[in-house]
This record gives sequence, structure tokens and C-alpha cells, in this order.
Amino acid sequence: MPLYDSASSSAGSCSGSSSSSSSSKPPPPPPLQQDIDGLLAVAGYKIRSSELRQVAQRLERLETAMGNSPADFSQLASDAILYNPSDLAAWVDSLLSEFAQPPTCSSEFIPGPVNNGSTTAESHTPPVQQNITYEQRTLDNQLTVVTATEEDSGIRLVHMLMTCAECVQRGDFSLASSLINDMQGLLARVNTVCGIGKVAGHFIDALSRRIFRGIGGGSVGGGGYAFESEILYHHFYEACPYLKFAHFTANQAILEAFDGHDCVHVVDFNLMHGLQWPALIQALALRPGGPPLLRLTGIGPPSPDGRDSLREIGLRLAELARSVNVRFAFRGVAASRLEDVKPWMLQVNPKEAVAVNSIMQLHRLLGPDPIRNSPIETVLNWIKDLNPKILTVVEQEANHNQPSFLDRFTEALYYYSTMFDSLEACRVQPEKALAEIYIQKEIGNVVSCEGSARVERHEPLAKWRRRLSGAGFRPLALGSNAFKQASMLLTLFSAEGYSVEETEGCLTLGWHSRPLIAASAWQAVAEAGSSAACVG
Amino acid sequence: MARSNEVNLNECKMVVPLNTWVLISNFKLAYNLLRRPDGTFNRHLAEFLDRKVPANANPVDGVFSFDVLIDRGTSLLTRIYRPATAEEPLPDVAELEKPVTAEVVPVIIFFHGGSFAHSSANSAIYDTLCRRLVGLCKAVVVSVNYRRAPENRYPCAYDDGWTALKWVNSRPWLQSRKDSKVHIYLAGDSSGGNIVHHVALRAIESGINVLGNILLNPMFGGEERTESEHHLDGKYFVTLRDRDWYWRAYLPEGEDRDHHACNPFGPNGRSVKGIKFPKSLVVVAGLDLIQDWQLAYVKGLKKAGQEVKLLYMEQATIGFYLLPNNNHFHAVMDEISRFVGSDC
Repeated sequence: MPLYDSASSSAGSCSGSSSSSSSSKPPPPPPLQQDIDGLLAVAGYKIRSSELRQVAQRLERLETAMGNSPADFSQLASDAILYNPSDLAAWVDSLLSEFAQPPTCSSEFIPGPVNNGSTTAESHTPPVQQNITYEQRTLDNQLTVVTATEEDSGIRLVHMLMTCAECVQRGDFSLASSLINDMQGLLARVNTVCGIGKVAGHFIDALSRRIFRGIGGGSVGGGGYAFESEILYHHFYEACPYLKFAHFTANQAILEAFDGHDCVHVVDFNLMHGLQWPALIQALALRPGGPPLLRLTGIGPPSPDGRDSLREIGLRLAELARSVNVRFAFRGVAASRLEDVKPWMLQVNPKEAVAVNSIMQLHRLLGPDPIRNSPIETVLNWIKDLNPKILTVVEQEANHNQPSFLDRFTEALYYYSTMFDSLEACRVQPEKALAEIYIQKEIGNVVSCEGSARVERHEPLAKWRRRLSGAGFRPLALGSNAFKQASMLLTLFSAEGYSVEETEGCLTLGWHSRPLIAASAWQAVAEAGSSAACVG
Repeated sequence: MARSNEVNLNECKMVVPLNTWVLISNFKLAYNLLRRPDGTFNRHLAEFLDRKVPANANPVDGVFSFDVLIDRGTSLLTRIYRPATAEEPLPDVAELEKPVTAEVVPVIIFFHGGSFAHSSANSAIYDTLCRRLVGLCKAVVVSVNYRRAPENRYPCAYDDGWTALKWVNSRPWLQSRKDSKVHIYLAGDSSGGNIVHHVALRAIESGINVLGNILLNPMFGGEERTESEHHLDGKYFVTLRDRDWYWRAYLPEGEDRDHHACNPFGPNGRSVKGIKFPKSLVVVAGLDLIQDWQLAYVKGLKKAGQEVKLLYMEQATIGFYLLPNNNHFHAVMDEISRFVGSDC
């Protein structure tokens, strides 16, 4: 019985509910040596007790200024870009410089820094952030207060990126390229080692490539170097929990689907280093009643240098299977594109229970034009013909396949910012650096490629549900076991901010409640004799 | 009841601790930025400014929390706060909805304040308050992230409160061992207090038993301008003008403040005489400009023969319960603890 069914419908149905669990550590205590007011800190505001009086005075002045023209106040608030409300002193100061006369020198105040370079009487304590300077610009009717901390330049970068993308969409490439120059200048002043500066950098590169090199895409196209891709994939696997989540969740569902079957066959749409399969092999070895005969068919790109890398992986997995007494057979199918695979190559035996496993592969089949017998339809049809016990699908939870470039760009900016943000938790190198390159390539493809070169055509879970249902599949709910696995994985990973959610039988893993990857399971509908077993 | 005809800014600062003054003044300032004269609300800026905290499945000071989406159609999120037990100091993250083990566990459904427009269940100030209630009342607290005005007018907030009440009432894991029933209290401050009253009304119609209502500075009003509104307008953080704005934002377009949502015992109100209304604890701050309406509410309950206890905190301003740095705070917390504890 699903643990997290919070809908008011009957137990056993998995609709309309979601719960999330996240592991986060308690917030660190405020630094006592800086005399931060503890009660306000708990309310989310950083302010030193010694500053309370001045901030109070400034609040009063703001109120007076406001009393004169409250309507203007809210209008200006709509236009202004405001920053960092937690730093109460700086926040109040920025509002004062925006809406009221700047403070005159007086012994009662700690004067705000003045923008003409002249300093006032000694400031009492250094500001909490380093290098705060104020720059006030008036653009037409728009007052923009920009506090040039690194974070704030980052936000400005985001605004410029959006404008640049919009120019690209309109075809105004000269304005777009001048914006690229501006942004690269701004980037030089921003911390690109972490945070929004890093992501912005990648997007600037991708936009730049789109503008200057056209949309053929170059090396971020579909093929790339298989070997390099595998290395990057492996490091992405290590650096953050997304792929581990994908594997664990899919394996759990596959294990349950294989229950009671003695001959089982897994078809993996993208073998890579076979990272997913040791865990399944071991789980099958421990199955009550003994392991089945396991066949694994791994699909992957052909190796450029004559090596049979697929076979090498197969051999290693066979070695592992032998060590835990699981009868195992491996077959590699080399294909540059998934749509080149024909079902006969998989040599599926009608007596075996088949699981088809697709980790971030289906979106690559969404061709540039909605044409009849597009690759996705072809592939889904032959999957159905295999009559698998289960089809496990993991996809990026993002809308990167919209027709409008600006929409895709915006979505990608937020998606990958979140993903990069989550990567900050990773401390191991070179895993982190290579994982970033892995993600960077994805960004490049989404932003600077078009047509058949653009393969990263991510679509959200809702769309996949419609697509798969329309193609004759019905959802198999991922139950509480899968949720538990995923949650425990997070606890092991112990980075704060990740959260697993159950949503209508599917699981998503996200960062701070923004889902980034979604896992679901499916079964072909209306095959004579197939049992309607609900997984979980 | 103390009334002063000459209250100014300096006096306002004298009745609250300095950090409280800064906190509430900052809210006042921020809120002024958000309300537009045309009745629209700068929601993006509001969310940007609101200091929020995530749920935390690791216990902090003996309380852990997690978020549950209880209605996907309206994206209705609740944050649930539970005491960490001695035997299991670290809850298994996959078993957050483990059944409560005590004979009697009060479940407090909490509605945060914000005049129907501001704040969320995960606002830092309300997260703190809810955590406090857990320890104080040995309760599970369910904080409801109801839909806000002006995007969602009456009756959305009440609908969400009702959804939450039904959900809580139907959770087997929230049932007290003693009678396999969920022991429900409704609590809220400002608009949350208003929601408490209206959700309690719905509960009675549907036969769900609510054991008690806790209203902290509840938000009520009416067309008439009362004495307290005249005297205290603009004196202690709150103006009549902003009160009017929030009612215009929440009430259906074209309705005035004698709508029963705003004025439950007014000309369009519903009497609660003869019905099994929960006992109420109503806290009124003596420096709150809408106190006359709050006192009228208490009177209305009494006239209808309902059990109500009034806590009138003479020198308290709005928001006194947000920081534990004043006597009103501690007095009220003690009363709440007794109010909830009396059924155990």
C-alpha cells in the first residue's frame, strides 16, 4: 500500500498526491563574534545588534519619504531591481538612496557609501560583504539600484542573457553580438567559479556559438566522441545523485516486474559503462527462490577506434554475475542512433520477461518536425511489439523542446542554474569539473543547435505521459518501495537541498523542490494474456 | 483599556523592543512596496522579499518538519511539524507519516497571517511560530499554505482551510490512540484567525469535530468606523487605509466590509447560536486598531452562548507573538498551552 498517497480517493490509487522528503542539516548558529541579533536571524534577517538603532532611524526616514507619495513608491518598486532583503542594513540603505535623499554626514548615522568617491567620517564597522559599492543609474523612468556584489552582477547577467536571447529570436544579431560583448565584460567582474556567474558563462558561450557559428552546432551535435561522452557521463554519475536516482528507481521497478519469472531480458537503450546493472545483478542474486537467467542487451554507439567497448563492458558484467552465481548472457548492439536499431537485433525470446530501460534516450527521438512515423513513434511501436513486462523511462524534467527559441532558452537557463546550484554540494574533483562539462554540452546543444543536430529535446513528464499513453502504454505506479529507495539514497548522499517527490505514480528528483529528473514505468496495453500487475 | 489621543512614532518605539520594532517596520515598509493603488499586488517582489525556510526532516530543538501536497488541483501545500520522540531521535526519512504514538495528540491546523495577501506556510516567522507550538502543546502542527488574495479572493482561503481540515481528519496516522480519532484544533493569526472562524463553521455543517479555536489578533472588520480605528489609525504600524486595501483584495468585487467573511456577526453575519461551535481562545492586542471588531466578535460568541476566553493584552501591538522577547508573548503561549492541554 503506497505510503504517500495523500489524495482523498481510495487507498491503492496513486493519483493526485505528492509528498517530499529532503534531508537538510540544521542551519548553522549565527556567528556570535559579529553580534548578530539572534531573534531577527531566525526570522531571516541578518543585522547586528549594534546597527539596530541606525536602521530604525533610516526606516523612519523612509516612512516619512513614503508618506508624501505612496503611489509613486509602489510604482518605483515595480520598476526597480532590489537585492538581498536579508541584509537589513544594506537593504534599507538601498531603498533610501532610491526613494529619499541620501543621508547627510551626521554623528547619528553610519553614512551609506557615496558614489562620487568622497568618503565621509569614519565608518564604525566594516560591512558584512566585501567590496560593496553603490552605483545609481537613471534610465528613462526606470531607477535601477545596482549593488555590485558578485551575486548582483550575476542577476544583471541574467537580465542581459534574456535580452540577448530575445534579440536572437527576432533575428537582430548585431544587437545580440554587442550584448555578448557586454556580458563577457561583466563576466570578467563576476565570480565564475561558482553560482550564477558560472552558469551565465556557459549560456553566453552557447549563445555566442549560435550567433557566430550558425546552428549546425559543431562539436555539440548528436554524435560527438563516444569515449569522451562516456567519461563525462561517468563523472556526472559520481558527482550528483541524478543518474544514481535514475538507476535505483528503474532497477527497483524492473526487479518487481521480473518477480516470478525465470528467464528475464533487459534491453538497455544506452549502456555507457553499464553503471546501472551491477546493482540489478546483485539484487537478482539475492532474490528469494534464486536468481533467474539474466540476459542483457546493451545498445551504444560504435567505438571509433576498433575496440568493442560494448563487449568489454559485457565481459565485466558477466564476471560480476558469475561471482554471485547469476546465469548471465550479454549482447551488444552498436548503433549511432537509437532509431537505427531494429527489433530483430535484440533477439528477444517470446518466453522471456522483457524490460526495456531508457535513461534519457527517448527525447533524442523527438525529430525536428512532427512527421508521420517519426523516430519516436517507430521506436515506441517496436517496444510495444516486444510486449515488455516493463518499460522504464527516465527523462530530464524540463521543457526544452518548445517551438519558440526564447521559451527554450528561458527554461534552460532556470533548469541548468538549478542543476549547477545543486552541483555546488559536490566537493570531489575531478568528478565535479567533468560533470560540469557534461552539463555544459547539454546546454550547448539546447541553445546553439537546431534541426537534427539538436538532440537534447527534453520534455516534461506531463508530455511524456500523454505521448506514452497515446502510443498504447499504461503507467505502472512506482510505489513506496521505490520512493523509499530514492529517499535513502538521498540520505546517503547527505547533501542538503535534494528532494524526491512522488507524483501520480512517478518519482522526481529535484533540487529545493524544483524537480530536475523524472522516472516513470510503463506497460504495453491490451496484449492478450498479460497480467495487469501494478508495480508497488 | 488604555486609549491615548497623542501617540506618535516615538511612543510606538517605546512599547516594543527595538528588534521587534525594526522587524515589523520593515514588514510595513516592504508591504507598502507591494500594494498598488489600483488594487493589484506585486507578487513576484513579495515572494522575493519573503524570508522563507525549507522543511527539515532532521529534528531541530526536538521538532522536524516536512511538506505535503494535499491537493494537486490547487497546489495546496501544508507543512507538517512533529515532535521527535525520545526513542527515535532521527526519524527515518521514508516514514515521516508514522502513526502518532501518544494516547492523546492534539493536531493544530495553523493558518498563517498576512492579511490574506502576504506570507506562506514556509515563511520564516511562521515556521518558527509553528515549531514553538509543537513543543508547547505536545502537538502535531499542520500549517496550511492557503491561496492568497488578490489573485485568489474569497472563498479560496476558506476552501483551502476546509480541504486541509478534511485531510487532517482523515489521516489514520494522526489519530490519538485513546479513541482512534484525530483531535483537531484550529489556530491562526490575523487573516489566519479569520479563517479559523469560517473553517470551524464548515466543520460543524459537516460533522467534523473541532475541539477548539485559537484566534491571535484575528482579522475582522466592517463598514462602520469604530473608535479604536479612529484613535489608533497609523499609530502602531497599521493604517486604516491598508486594512481597507486588504479587504478590497480579498472580498468579492463589489462587496463591502459588512460581507460576512469580514464581519461574521454583522448585518450579513451568521449566528452561531444553538450550534456546537468549538470553544474559542481569542487574543486581542490593546494597540491593534481593529480591536473593536475583535471584541465585537468575542461578544457575538458570548451572546450566542458559546464558550470563549478573551485575552486582552493591553500594551501589545500587532505581531507581538513573532518574537519571544516580551511578556505578552509568554503569557499568551501559556494560555494556548493550557487551552490545548485541557482535553488530555
